[in-house]
Parts: sequence; C-alpha cells; structure tokens
Amino acid sequence: MASIKEQFEIPGKMRTWSIALICVGLLALIIGFATKGISTDQHQKDIFWGTLMYNSIYFLLICNGSMFFICATTLAMGGWQVVFRRVPEAISTMVPIFGLIAFVILMYIVFGMGSHTHIYHWLDKDAVTNDEILKGKSGFLNPGFFLLWTVLAIGLWSLLGWRMRKLSSEADDPALANQDAGKSFIWRNTVTASLFIVWFGLTVASTVPWLWLMSIDPHWYSTMYSWYTFASSFVAGISLVALWIIYLKNKGYLAYTTEEHLHDIGKFMFAFSIFWTYLWFSQYMLIWYANMSEETVYFKHRVEGAYKGIFFLNIIINFVCPILILMKRSAKRNYTLMTFMAVLIIFGHWIDFYQMVMGSVRPEDAGLSWLDFGIAFLFVGLMIFFVGKALAKKPLLPVYHPFVKESVIHYT
Amino acid sequence: MHLKYESQLREPLVNGDKNYHQVTEDICRPIEVRPTKLWYIGFFISVALLLFGVYSVYREVTYGIGQWNLNRTVGWGWDITNFVWWIGIGHAGTLISAILLLFRQGWRTGVNRAAEAMTIFAVICAGQFPLWHMGRVWMAFFVFPYPNTRGPLWINFNSPLLWDVFAISTYFTVSLLFWYTGLLPDFGTIRDRAKTKLRKKLYGIVSFGWSGSTKHWQRHESLALVLAGLSTPLVLSVHTIVSFDFATSVVPGWHTTIFPPYFVAGAIFSGFAMVQSLMVILRKVFNLQDYITLGHIEAMNKVIVLTGSIVGCAYLTELFMGWYSQNKYEQYAFFYTRANLFSPYGWSYWGMMTCNVISPQIFWFRKLRRNLYVTFFMSVVVNIGMWFERFVIIVTSLFRDYLPSSWPVYYSPTIFEMGFYLGSFGLFFTCFFLFAKYFPVIAIAEIKHVLKTSGENYKEKVGDIEKEPVEEFAHQYAH
Amino acid sequence: MANKNFVVGCFDDEAVLFPAVKKVRMAGYKIHDVYTPYAVHGLDHALGLRETSLHTAGFIYGITGTATALGGIGWILSWDWPLNFGGKPHFALPAWIPITFELTVLFASIGMVLTFCYLCQMAPFVKKHQFHSRATDDAFVMVVEPTPKTNLEDLKAFLSANGATEIEVQEAEAGWWLGTYDKQQKLVRDKGIEVA
Repeated sequence: MASIKEQFEIPGKMRTWSIALICVGLLALIIGFATKGISTDQHQKDIFWGTLMYNSIYFLLICNGSMFFICATTLAMGGWQVVFRRVPEAISTMVPIFGLIAFVILMYIVFGMGSHTHIYHWLDKDAVTNDEILKGKSGFLNPGFFLLWTVLAIGLWSLLGWRMRKLSSEADDPALANQDAGKSFIWRNTVTASLFIVWFGLTVASTVPWLWLMSIDPHWYSTMYSWYTFASSFVAGISLVALWIIYLKNKGYLAYTTEEHLHDIGKFMFAFSIFWTYLWFSQYMLIWYANMSEETVYFKHRVEGAYKGIFFLNIIINFVCPILILMKRSAKRNYTLMTFMAVLIIFGHWIDFYQMVMGSVRPEDAGLSWLDFGIAFLFVGLMIFFVGKALAKKPLLPVYHPFVKESVIHYT
Repeated sequence: MHLKYESQLREPLVNGDKNYHQVTEDICRPIEVRPTKLWYIGFFISVALLLFGVYSVYREVTYGIGQWNLNRTVGWGWDITNFVWWIGIGHAGTLISAILLLFRQGWRTGVNRAAEAMTIFAVICAGQFPLWHMGRVWMAFFVFPYPNTRGPLWINFNSPLLWDVFAISTYFTVSLLFWYTGLLPDFGTIRDRAKTKLRKKLYGIVSFGWSGSTKHWQRHESLALVLAGLSTPLVLSVHTIVSFDFATSVVPGWHTTIFPPYFVAGAIFSGFAMVQSLMVILRKVFNLQDYITLGHIEAMNKVIVLTGSIVGCAYLTELFMGWYSQNKYEQYAFFYTRANLFSPYGWSYWGMMTCNVISPQIFWFRKLRRNLYVTFFMSVVVNIGMWFERFVIIVTSLFRDYLPSSWPVYYSPTIFEMGFYLGSFGLFFTCFFLFAKYFPVIAIAEIKHVLKTSGENYKEKVGDIEKEPVEEFAHQYAH
Repeated sequence: MANKNFVVGCFDDEAVLFPAVKKVRMAGYKIHDVYTPYAVHGLDHALGLRETSLHTAGFIYGITGTATALGGIGWILSWDWPLNFGGKPHFALPAWIPITFELTVLFASIGMVLTFCYLCQMAPFVKKHQFHSRATDDAFVMVVEPTPKTNLEDLKAFLSANGATEIEVQEAEAGWWLGTYDKQQKLVRDKGIEVA
C-alpha cells in the first residue's frame, strides 16, 4: 500500500453521463413546460409543477440526510465513518443547489400559479373565507409564513452544513495531529453538529413536511407525518452514500473503506427500512383502526383508488425487499447486492414521495409518465455532476482526523 | 488478532491500573463479603414498602375495585398511569444492551447488567397493575387463547389490550433470556472463585456448567447479537403497543398517530433516568467508580437530553396539531384541559412540561452532565415528569368525556391506590437489593473484552501509535 | 467413557496466545479447545472452527412464530368463530400484525436459547471438567489432545517455548462434555494440517 489514491479526479465517463442525464432531463423539462406547464388546463399545470415539486423536495431531503448522518455520528462520537466521511460531505454540498431549485419551484407554486391550483388549496382565498377549518389554519398556512420558513429552513441547513464541511477541511492539516488541537476540533464539530441537529429537528422532523407536503391536503392532519417523511428521506440518503462509496471503490479510491464499513452502512439501510415501515404501519394502522372519515380520506384513494398499485409497491420495495435481502450478513458485505439494494431503496422512496404528493394533487388517476422519470434524471444528473466536483476538491481521506485510525482498523 | 486501540481523545472506560484479575476481584467482591448495614436498612425499608403494597392489594381484592377512587369517566387512574410508567422505565435496560450494542457504544459495558436487571424488575412491577386492576384476579387466565368451556369463544385478537398481554409477556421473557445468557459466564467466574462448598454448588447450578470454551463463546456471541437484533424492534414494539391502547381509540388527546414513536422516546427517557438514579448510588456503595465512570454518567445524560428533546418535539407537535386540526374536541382536550394552567388538572401538564422538556436542557452543559448531584436530582425530576406525562394522558382525556353530567367528579386516589404504587417501589427495590447482593452488577466478561482497548493503563501504552502516519499504520494493522 | 490424557497450557496474554495457537496447530498437534475468560475475537478463526449457524436456526424459529400467529389468529377470527369487532372485516390483517411480530420474536428467542444450551451441552446441574480455575478469571487455557504416539514431554516443552506459563498433564473423562455436535467440527481453514 505504498501509494494510495485519495485525490479524486472526475472520470470522463462520469462527466459524459451526468451531462447526458442533465440534457435528457432538460429536454423533458422543456417539453413538459411547453405541453403542460403553460397549458390552459389547470390539471396539466398541476401535474407539471407537482412533478417538479416532489422531485426537488425528495432530492433535497435525501442530500440533506447526508449531513444529518455526519452530524449524528459526530454527536455520537462515532469513529468508524471517518474514512469515508468526505463522501456524505460531498453529497451534502447539493443542499444549497437543490435548495435553491426547490425554493424557486415552491415559490412559483405559492406566488405564481394563482389561487386555483390543486397543489395548495389553501391559497384559494374564496375557499378559505368560506371554509371555517381553512380559515382557522390560515395563521400557519399563508404565503408569507411559507416564504419565511422556507428561506430559513433551506438557508440554515446550507449554512450549518457549510460550517461542518469547513471544519472538516482542517483534518487535512498536519497541525491537527496534536492532541489539544484534536480535542478542540472534536469540540467545535460537536457544537456545530448539535446546532444542525436541533434545526433539523425543528424543520425536517416537524414543520417543513407539514408546510410543504402535508398542506397539499389542507384538511387532513397526522402528527406522525413529519417523522415519517424524515425516515423515508434518511434511509434513501444512506443508500445514496452507499452508492457513491461503491462507485469510488470501483474506481480504485477509498482504499481504507472496506466491506466492514459497507456492512455497517448496510445495517443502517436495513434498520432504517424497518424503522420506516414501523412508522408507516403505526400511521396507517391507527387511522384504519379509528376509522374516522376526516383521517381515512387520505388513504381512501391510495388503498382503494387509482394509487392502489403504487401503494402496495411502496411497501414491497421499501419493506419486503430490504428485510429479506439485507438480513444476511453476506448480503451487506456484497458490493453487487448492496448496489442493487441502494438503487432499489432510492427508487422506492422516490415512489413514496410520488404517492405522497401526486396522490393528493391528482387523486383520480395515477401512473408514472415520461415526465416523472425525465425530471428525476435531471436531478440525478445534476447530483452526479456537482457531487463529482465536490469530491475532487478535497482529498478523500481526512488524514489527520483524530479518529481516522479507529476507522481504518474498524471491523464488524 | 485485531489491534486493541482507540483514540487517546476518548475517555477511558475503565480507570485505574487494572488487569483481568483485578476486574474479577473488584466486581465479585461485593458478592463475597457480608452486606453492609446500609444494605440491610435499605432492604428492610423496601420489604416494608412491599408489605404495605401487599396489604393495599389485599384490600382491593377482598373488598373490590371500589377501594380505589376510579369513577364513571376516569376508569383508568393511578393504576394504568403506574403501569405505563413502570413499563417505560423497563425500556432502558434492553435499549442499553441491544441498541447500543448494535451501535457499538463501548460505554454500555459498564452499565448494561444492572440496567437489564432493572428492566426485568420494572416489567414485573408494571405487570402487577393491569393484573390487579382486573378486579377478579382469579379470572386472569381468561386472557390466554385456548379453546375453553365458556362456549366456543376466543379472546379478541383485534384488541390492543390483548396485544399488550402478548407484548409484555414476550418482552419479559426475551429480556430475561438475554440477561440470563449474559450472566452465564459471570456465574462461571463466581463459581470458580467460590471458597465455600455451598456457593460453589449454587453458582455451579446457575452457571449451567459454563466452561469458557472457544466454541461456546463463538455461539454465545452469535446468540447475543441475534437477541440484540430481535430485542431492538421488540423494545420499540412494547411501548408502541402500550401507546396503541390509547391511540386506537377515538378519545380526544389519545387518538394521534405520533403516539408510538413518541411513547418509545419517552420510555427511553424515563428508563435512562432510573438507570442514572441507581448507578449514581451503586457505584458509590460498591466502590465501582472505576467501571461506572463520570464518562458513563455523562453519556447517559446525553441520551437524556436527546430523548427529552424528542419528547418535547412530540409534545409540541401534538399541541400544534391540536390547533391545526381545527377539531373542536381536540382543541378542547389540548387547550382547555391540558395546556391551561387553571383547568382542574392543568398543574399536571405544566409539571410534565417543566420536568421533561425544560429542565433536562441543562444537560447541554458539560459541567452539569458530569456533576453527580445534579445528575441524581435530574434523574428524579425526569421520572416525576414522566409520571405526570402518563397521568396527563390518561386522566385529562378521561375526566371530561362526552357526557357533561359526569364532569364535576374530580379524580384523586385513595390511600390504597397510593399504597399499591408504593408497594411496587418496594417490590422493585427488594428485587434490586437482592440482585446487587447475589449477582455480578457489572458484566465481568464484557469489561474484560474492552479492557485492553479502553482501559486507562492500556491506552497509555499504545499512545505512540497515534503519531504514526496513517499509511504506515494501515499497512501494519488494517485487515 | 474412557479417561484420557490432556496437556494443559496456560497463557496470560492474548498477544502470546494467538501465535502459540498457530504454531501448535502448524506443528501438527490437535488443540482440543481453548478456554478464555471473555470472547476473544478471531480466536475461533485461529482455531479453524466453523462459523456457527445458530442465527439460521433463529430465522427458522422466527418464521415458525410468524406462521403460528398468522395461522392461528386467521383461523380463529376468520374461520372458527368470526365475530364483528367494531365493524372491522373478519380478515383484519393490520390488527394482527402486533401479535404476529411478538410471537416471531418470542419463538426465535426461546428457540435460539434452547438450541444454544443444547449445542453447548449446558443446563442446570451440568458439571464439566475444569482444566484450570483461572480460565474464567484471567488465563487463556489451551488444552491439547495428544494421540498415543505423541511424546508428552516434547509437547510440554513446545508449549513452554511458545509462552505458556503453567503446563501440566491432566487426566479427564473424554467424551461427555464434548457434546455430539462438537465432535463433528469440520476444519474450514488450514485444511492441510494433520493430526500428530
């Protein structure tokens, strides 16, 4: 192991692929915009903007899941993740980019689409004045607060994430080998990480999913909704980290990241898939059991209507497959199987977000179209392009991180 | 063999100049000497409390449930509050041993044995409340599914109360198995050190003939891992199912989907507080400060502030949804009876908020996390707060039901209801005192496992490794 | 069972034990077992022991529990005596999940613990031959099983040269404590090693 490759260089193929995906995505975006986005049919317009919305929120939240992973392991004083820590860091650089895209889309929906959209019914002023319930909620569901909270949420995720990444750069400096410097490094990491986690709790684990997603059904409410959204985006986020690690390993990087580390990531994917199912079941079963019409309305068309197929597919992909396939130790240490499962989980939770948003925007008919995939390609392409760039900026191994040696000898 | 190394920046898990033999000595000593006066005093107080509890239950069984102040709307009072409270406390042990094992938190080795024991005793205490609450307790076997002579009727498998029967008995059984299999090697150790024949015989029986064979250790490890893997969802499921008792109903304040994970977070919260109370005393009385270090106490305080904040997030979510739902009944439950300090039970809601959400925030400060007095005080405060939480959920939702004519009745417990609760403390501490006297309160074999990695004196020896460049280090030690 | 001679060597340090295990095996001696005070990671591999398949047994017990619960409740509530509980369908699957889960865990745990006890031949009142009382305290006790051809003195000297502190020959009943399962242990690694 004389010379290790820890400086990532973007392979030509990756650049080509990312640009190709972006082009396909842009094409879909333009055609979609021309045929649906500026259509006079409100329905087509809703479909176009709804598709943009769930994709942007989904990809924003899974990339933010990377930063959550970094901060949570930092607070838990974890050592095992240090050898590949730069990977989730690079993924988290997408938060400001996707955040900006999501912001533009959300703002267009709130301020630009007019009040007759089916996406946010609470924008309809006539409906609100005639509807006691909506009127009561208008202290929370109003464009001003929506704007303010969205700016704050995305802004602070980006800012605190940026601070975490900046702190991480210190680990390339030999000065950190000193014990006192190491102590202060850990301390400063802990402070920023705890700030991030607190803000994450106040946004992703509570207010943001209510505001962005749950308010699509403005009469419906479920206290579980935000934790459910968090679980969904986090398990997909971990799978995304796994995919990048496997890709880098294949290219000969990350020499010290072994199947022992992959095994632990596999455990996260397995455990959080079950956790997601647990939240899914708790929410569904309680609503099913109590059988009150103001709550069951959410599941009515999902279980019995047009979304029936997608509803059950969601459970099969996100619960049955992970629990059966990832249960075995050898599966979590197998690069091929892990790649397959990571792709499946990311796709599965994308489907989950699809039914969460589109199931309410257009409950009467379902079906993934070229537009859904095209827009997803756009986001994937952007992600590959920018994450690749971010990876190339720093060495992949934080050589002077105080826990790096623990991470090197980590075994499961 | 893997390199025994961890970063010098981490606090040692075992302090002092220890070797394997010293570990055995330190942990076995309390078992092998006569108990102190303090032990006897504590033990007899516990037994006295237990006897008062037995008398209270005797009254209830003989004269009927009317010995309690339950009334037409408040059909669940102190009994179910205490049940949920104890079962919540009974979550920390399995959490420490199972989830922290999977998360590889090394500090669990110092506290897992006592925490697991505490779990088992807490579950035993919890089980008493629904059992005696049945009234005609001799009919308790009705809950079991068997083809019976009362007509071809089965029990209602769709009822959350029955799920509870299954959940709690499974939880008790699995925790016991997990705890006991972990104890086998340590019983072997005590057996092999025993000076008297009787000790050798007794510890020989309970050690199941443990020998320390490599093959047995291999299976033991595999068993522990799988049991931990099973216990992790199990521990979540138990309080989840307890929360279903409330959340499947359509009572305002009970029917809310966040209940399952929020109950689990609360359970971990109160369980850790109880572990903290016991550990602060245990380490002092048995001289185990080297094994249950301030680092351990601090780690648990971090868990307390984390889970306290999660619970706080859930309280605020509920409160927000109470408003956001624009449902009159929900709003009444949350804003008239609970969050309103001047409503009849407003004190309990604000007591809960203060004890559970606001006060644990002091643990953001390292100094306070490492202060034993503050820790002990806070651990008691948290458990009071968690008792309030269950009281708030049960009583405030019940005492204003849909029939306003029942409203004027203010529920407060009788002496026998309180006696039953005190008795459960007696039961809990009697068990715990006996455990502390006859069982190794720290997992000896597990401490030995981490000793050369995390022991103070061993860490000093491998300090130089820290200076090696990563590449050389990896070349030498990576596998 | 007949009594047999065993050569017992005590080691004080894992770092000495591991190379010794390797050398003893390379020299062609058969290690009967190593008794340790805690679970020494990697020792099972060093001894060439097969991975345990206890967890597979656990999986089978678990799905037995799942099937029992779903089958039992399904039969009772949908077939044997269907009742209307709160307007729910007779096949009320979501309501059966909690008990199904509990029984899965219960079956898996009890089954695995019993299997563990059976495989290790452990039960109350079982007493096994103890080669060294420090094996549960601070010593790593290697027990070598000589064949009739083995020169015991050579073996003792060999152990001593490899770091064993206390060495003795013990006579013990062979057989019963081994457990039938242990006898059939296959060596997965270092297949080339012959028994002297």
